[in-house]
Amino acid sequence: MIIALLPLGHFLIGVLSLLWQRGARRILPFALLIDVALIGSLWSRVAGGTSVSLVLGGWGRDLGIELVADKISLGFSFLALLLTLAVTVYLWRERQRPYFYVLLHFLLASVFALVFARDLFNIYVIIEILTLVSFLLVGYERKARQIWASLNYLILAALGMAMYLFGVGIIYYHTGTLNLTLLGERIAGMQDQLWLITASTLLVVGVSIKAGVFVFSLWLPAAHASASPAVSALLSGLVIKMGVVVLFRLSTVLDISLPLIVLGGITGVVGAVYTMFTYELKRMLAFSTLSQVGYLLVGIGIGTPLAIAGSLTYGVAHGLSKGLLFLAAGQVVNTTGSAFISEQVARQEKIPRATRIALFVGTLSIIGLPPLVGFCAKGLLSAATDSLPLHLLLVFVSLGTVVAFSKLTPLLNPRYGCSDERAKAISYGILALPIFAFLPASFLFVSWIQVLSWLGPLQAGESVAIIGAGFLVYLVLRGHPVRLPQRIFRLEEAILLILAVFFATFFLLAGSV
Amino acid sequence: MDVANGVTIAVILFGVGIFALIIRRDLVIKLLALGLIDSSSVLFLVSLNAQDNGIAPIVHGPGANYVDPLPQALVISAIVINFALLALALVFVMLLVERYHTTDSLRIAQQVEREKRS
Repeated sequence: MIIALLPLGHFLIGVLSLLWQRGARRILPFALLIDVALIGSLWSRVAGGTSVSLVLGGWGRDLGIELVADKISLGFSFLALLLTLAVTVYLWRERQRPYFYVLLHFLLASVFALVFARDLFNIYVIIEILTLVSFLLVGYERKARQIWASLNYLILAALGMAMYLFGVGIIYYHTGTLNLTLLGERIAGMQDQLWLITASTLLVVGVSIKAGVFVFSLWLPAAHASASPAVSALLSGLVIKMGVVVLFRLSTVLDISLPLIVLGGITGVVGAVYTMFTYELKRMLAFSTLSQVGYLLVGIGIGTPLAIAGSLTYGVAHGLSKGLLFLAAGQVVNTTGSAFISEQVARQEKIPRATRIALFVGTLSIIGLPPLVGFCAKGLLSAATDSLPLHLLLVFVSLGTVVAFSKLTPLLNPRYGCSDERAKAISYGILALPIFAFLPASFLFVSWIQVLSWLGPLQAGESVAIIGAGFLVYLVLRGHPVRLPQRIFRLEEAILLILAVFFATFFLLAGSV
Repeated sequence: MDVANGVTIAVILFGVGIFALIIRRDLVIKLLALGLIDSSSVLFLVSLNAQDNGIAPIVHGPGANYVDPLPQALVISAIVINFALLALALVFVMLLVERYHTTDSLRIAQQVEREKRS
């Protein structure tokens, strides 16, 4: 009952706040309060490791739409609540059109619906709603740059969802069900069938376009860099993660671990290289999102319970830190009037103190300094990775992240700084507190005894060594800017690349069975 | 309709849509191609799950050769969503045209790039 109430309630409140436009900003925190109560009551029921399930409409499982709440869905719902609250507070003083709050409600509603969804077609519908909402959010300020980026995003996302629908058709024809649990039972022992390989490829590629996977999500840097800061925080922290959650749900049923590891590896490495050699603050953060998604995919691809727990915990942790970083970066760009890091450094006395601190905390968390939540998640993932090449890959991605974020160190000089608007400071606090209070956040998906037994001085030492080495590499590279190809981010090239890698993924899957 | 025909036509339409999406520079034609791709996925879903000589799932009495009604119910949602996406995309194209007075995607991309640098 509660499971259906969460998404439906937000759609309803969204429409209501369209009617009562002056109160739209004030309704939102109250709605979030109710969400906390509902999610808390669900959490008390799933905390033992069971899940709560609801089949809508009184049909059986094979016809009705099933919604299931487990720890993973509740963890990501919690992330959605925190990010939305932070964004609302961040924009408290700046008058937004009521339409913005309607979009926020719809975004929350579709996120809640997606984390509970266990039905292929239901997932399709919700992802399309999510696409629509984020498309409108990116173009919210009506700048030409934003509209162009969101149009590119829409075209690629629609193409991906059409592919997904092809996959759904094939699966329904051969199994007669869309429910993921039933699907898992019916395809047992059929892993080498050609239709299943084709359908898996179509589904994975379709969702990957939304999930920030390299060569599929080439719309991402432009969209996330040009959107307004609050929107970038939501897109990078939340919407991208939703694609990853869907990929995780698919991986529990379909045999797609090899493509996930390969795609994740490519995403991580290429993303890390682009992050290192991008000198525009928000664009660098967008590329960093790409490289961290690679991390998540590798974890899901490995597929042991520990790896999955580490990867999903990192999903939540990265959502918090990247949300914080994007909010702070927005304020940096606003106060200095420049998008490039070098010019921001030159005018750094204008950056308020709270923004500096937020930038610092977010950076520390994302490079994985030991006591923070970013380290807990990365440590779990690194403990779960047995094979040496994969381990080296993760180390390379972490190293690239450290090198890239070292570029921000000149901005963190504590000597300068004026006081900040209080609303901004509070919104940073909302995201920074869970980053410091790493204990509850990193124990979302595994018990704390397990975490403590896996996270030892070894992981902490590795993490600190990577940070030290990364900073040294940054000092070496500092005077040598590199210009990487930007042509692949154009629409036509992006579509060609998607097609090419689609076939590559297909042959990878066909070759692995 | 012959089932195999429907599936073949759907796959061909998808290919044509992608081809047009890549080689045509006009944004409106790009969106038309996107509509073609969407329609091809709908046609695929319906015709793959229909059988030869099946009749529409409207009750005529027991024993008739009905096709499975579920995919037909599904594609209604898909059609509505695709309509919404296309309508919004056209509004955004309209905003771009008001600004740059062209629907040529290459020229818009160059203009946007130039504005960003200045």
